Amino acid sequence: MDEAETSNIFYVPAPSLPSITPPDSYDPFRSQPVPLIIDNGSSNLRFGFSTSTSPHSSPNVIAKYKERKFNQSLLLFGDAIDAESGAKSQGKTPWEGDVLLNFDAMENALDYAFVRLGIDAEGIEHPVLMTERLCSPLHSRALTSELMFEQYSVPSLTYCVDSVMSFYHNNKPASGSTFGADGLVVSFNTASTSVIPILNGKGVLSHAKRIPWGTQQSTEYLLKLIQLKYSSFPTRVTSAQASWMLHNFCSFATDYPAVLRSLKIPANMRAAERIIQFPFAIPVIEEKTEEELIRIAEKRKEQGKKLQELAAKSRMEKLAKKENDLQYLTNLREGKSENKREWMNTLQVEGFDDDAALDETIKKLEVDVKRARKKDPDGQDDAIEEPSFPLIDVPDADLDEEGIKEKKKQKLMKAGFDARARARREKEKEREEKEAEGRREEEERENNFDDWAARLRREQEAIMSKIKERGRRKAALSDRKSAAAQARMKNIASLAADERVSKKKRKAGAEDMFGADDEDWQIYRKLNAAAVSSDEEEEFNQLRIIESKLLLHDPTFTAQHTHASITSQRSALISAFRPQYEEGDIEGSARIHLNTERWRVCETYFSPGMAGVDSAGLGEVLQGILARFSEAEKARLVKNVFITGGPSQFPGLQERLHGTLRPILPPEMHLGDIVHAADPSLDAWKGMASFANTDEFHQVSVTAEEYQEWGGERIKRWWGGNCNSAV
Amino acid sequence: MPPKGTTKKRAVNDGSTTHTPTLAEQLSYLHNPRPFKNPNYIKNANRRTKNLKTVLGQERERERVERERRRQERDSHAMDIYEVKKELVDANEEISTYLSIEAPPSVLPQRHYCDITGLEAPYTDPRTGLRYHDKSVYELIKNLSPSAAKDYLAARGVNPVVR
Repeated sequence: MDEAETSNIFYVPAPSLPSITPPDSYDPFRSQPVPLIIDNGSSNLRFGFSTSTSPHSSPNVIAKYKERKFNQSLLLFGDAIDAESGAKSQGKTPWEGDVLLNFDAMENALDYAFVRLGIDAEGIEHPVLMTERLCSPLHSRALTSELMFEQYSVPSLTYCVDSVMSFYHNNKPASGSTFGADGLVVSFNTASTSVIPILNGKGVLSHAKRIPWGTQQSTEYLLKLIQLKYSSFPTRVTSAQASWMLHNFCSFATDYPAVLRSLKIPANMRAAERIIQFPFAIPVIEEKTEEELIRIAEKRKEQGKKLQELAAKSRMEKLAKKENDLQYLTNLREGKSENKREWMNTLQVEGFDDDAALDETIKKLEVDVKRARKKDPDGQDDAIEEPSFPLIDVPDADLDEEGIKEKKKQKLMKAGFDARARARREKEKEREEKEAEGRREEEERENNFDDWAARLRREQEAIMSKIKERGRRKAALSDRKSAAAQARMKNIASLAADERVSKKKRKAGAEDMFGADDEDWQIYRKLNAAAVSSDEEEEFNQLRIIESKLLLHDPTFTAQHTHASITSQRSALISAFRPQYEEGDIEGSARIHLNTERWRVCETYFSPGMAGVDSAGLGEVLQGILARFSEAEKARLVKNVFITGGPSQFPGLQERLHGTLRPILPPEMHLGDIVHAADPSLDAWKGMASFANTDEFHQVSVTAEEYQEWGGERIKRWWGGNCNSAV
Repeated sequence: MPPKGTTKKRAVNDGSTTHTPTLAEQLSYLHNPRPFKNPNYIKNANRRTKNLKTVLGQERERERVERERRRQERDSHAMDIYEVKKELVDANEEISTYLSIEAPPSVLPQRHYCDITGLEAPYTDPRTGLRYHDKSVYELIKNLSPSAAKDYLAARGVNPVVR
């Protein structure tokens, strides 16, 4: 946040292939009792001889993988797993958090270590110094000892605590004297963070405390936060990428609430964000060239023409058929014989009931043919002739039965015809009215623009408020305790009540008169919360019409004033927190913005409750530990506060610890600077290496004979090791 | 810089197959000779990877047994008070196992942080239980699906019981 970045955008690193290096030569160490140092870490395995300056370091992961292509079984370790994509899923680590559980993997890891060191003797002939966790479970220790003594035949084995060794390395005594420093060691490991007080060079392990929160949990938490924030992210974010983000962008805040208060302002949030750009793929749109487009258009036109021709042909055929029918029937009518019965038979054969039916059909056919003929050249409809109804005016008495029937039929037809004519006239009138209205509005607009605009705007606001009101009512109805919902229940209860009709009236035989009045049915609108969709649509349509008119003519009414944009407007804070990119912006949608997460993840070290871990934070633990010592001892401890471990490299940690410790100590007590290990990842190993070269090393190691006698769980008590089950 | 990577020993005899070994094969050390291993060693059946829970359970058992033992020892030395004191001191100092050094639960009052943005959260949504920073965040919460709300709560460690 302090340095000005010209570009806030960072690209996710692409994984690189591991390299092949030959194993070390064993010659300098053959048959020499040079101690072998193994720092068995949850994330990295560091190993080497104590006389080397620095160890080999490699991620502590094994993968036993059967390759599909050539059917080879492979055993890969550490970085090498990146060489084979399928091996990553088969990776196993010997550690589960802080406890050494998987001894097959441990064995393979140690095998790798020894192969790498080039050891080719029978059995390891060097005394070994290994790390274990603070107060590690005896099960782990027993099995490790068994592995070392029985499988690898080491002459002697010593366990130590890695953070104490790192402390030793940074506070080395003058040569020859024993280690007697004081201090408070805060060790940040992969799956835990521990605080160990050291007095007189001896770790007071009974007062040490361990918080079950480390890099592993922090990475998972960051990953979870990112997945929640970007639930529809195009690519999957892996743990490796999350840990890369953790290492590069997260830091401790000296005063977390103050940081949050400053981030509340959207401008600050934007300034503090880091944009991570993930790789994305631009979809290839096949752009058709001009020629192709023209060709496609022509093809379509041709197809259209063909269809038209087909339609015309079929019409001609139908017309011809109709004409034939007409001819046939007319001939039939003209050839009508005198004999009525014969005529009737003929008619019935043709399918007509009587003369009138035949006449009707002929007339219809004639009309059709005429219309079709007229349509072909110019395609215009005739004016509809007014059919005549001669019989309506003739009174009933004059007609015979058939006549009466005819009259009824004609009355119906006339009624229908009249109704249709009336409807047509009304439609015309409406259209004229609408046109008149439109013209009036245009006049108004041209003459008195402001008034017109103001009126339309008022209408738009009225509709918008109605929509909002409706939305609110719907929300209120869904809430069981709101006034609207209770009113609704009262209505239902009153409808279903037995006392709708009072007892007296019921005895007299009166019934519930609900429904006689049209207004009664309106109650169902109030009851049924979902039956308002038709009204909604109407309102939306009106709103759209008004808005389009305004958009067209009023220059001050922009797209931002429309209802759609107002409802979808997101607050400035949310858009700073999670910027929204356009639909088609593929590059933008593959971006992750980290703003509050940068401090939130590191803050969990000091309050694991934020992430759901029910444990005291670092500050509280420190306070608790210091409280168990006397004042004098406290003073000695806080003079030398030492932080070590890979995660201690987070920026801002030292200030934060200082800020945490200062308030809980009496003001006159001197709080030394928080000392950082010189090389946080490798210092433990280096401390072990230098310790192994001293004489004291041999005094505290467990030899093979002692192992045979005591078993794998007992160790000798010394200042750098654990003291559970120690002699 | 310590060199990274693994051995170059090839797993397959080149003469028998026609393919060049891949990088992974070159890095594999499955077939490397391991003379330092004791061929007579029989793997302890006890070594089957145990569950973390069982291991911790064993620790707890062991600790309890130890404590009982010490208490009995102290009781038997009840006559000599000086020895008792020494035993007490020793007992307190020595009993520190993997579980005993675990940090205690927090007693400080928890600060409320917004589940969505991470800023301070003075408000809580009664329907879902999410904490939020201000009304614009509340608008967002209103439109969350129940499963998304549950995910947010799980990130905080609150797992609502679904009957």
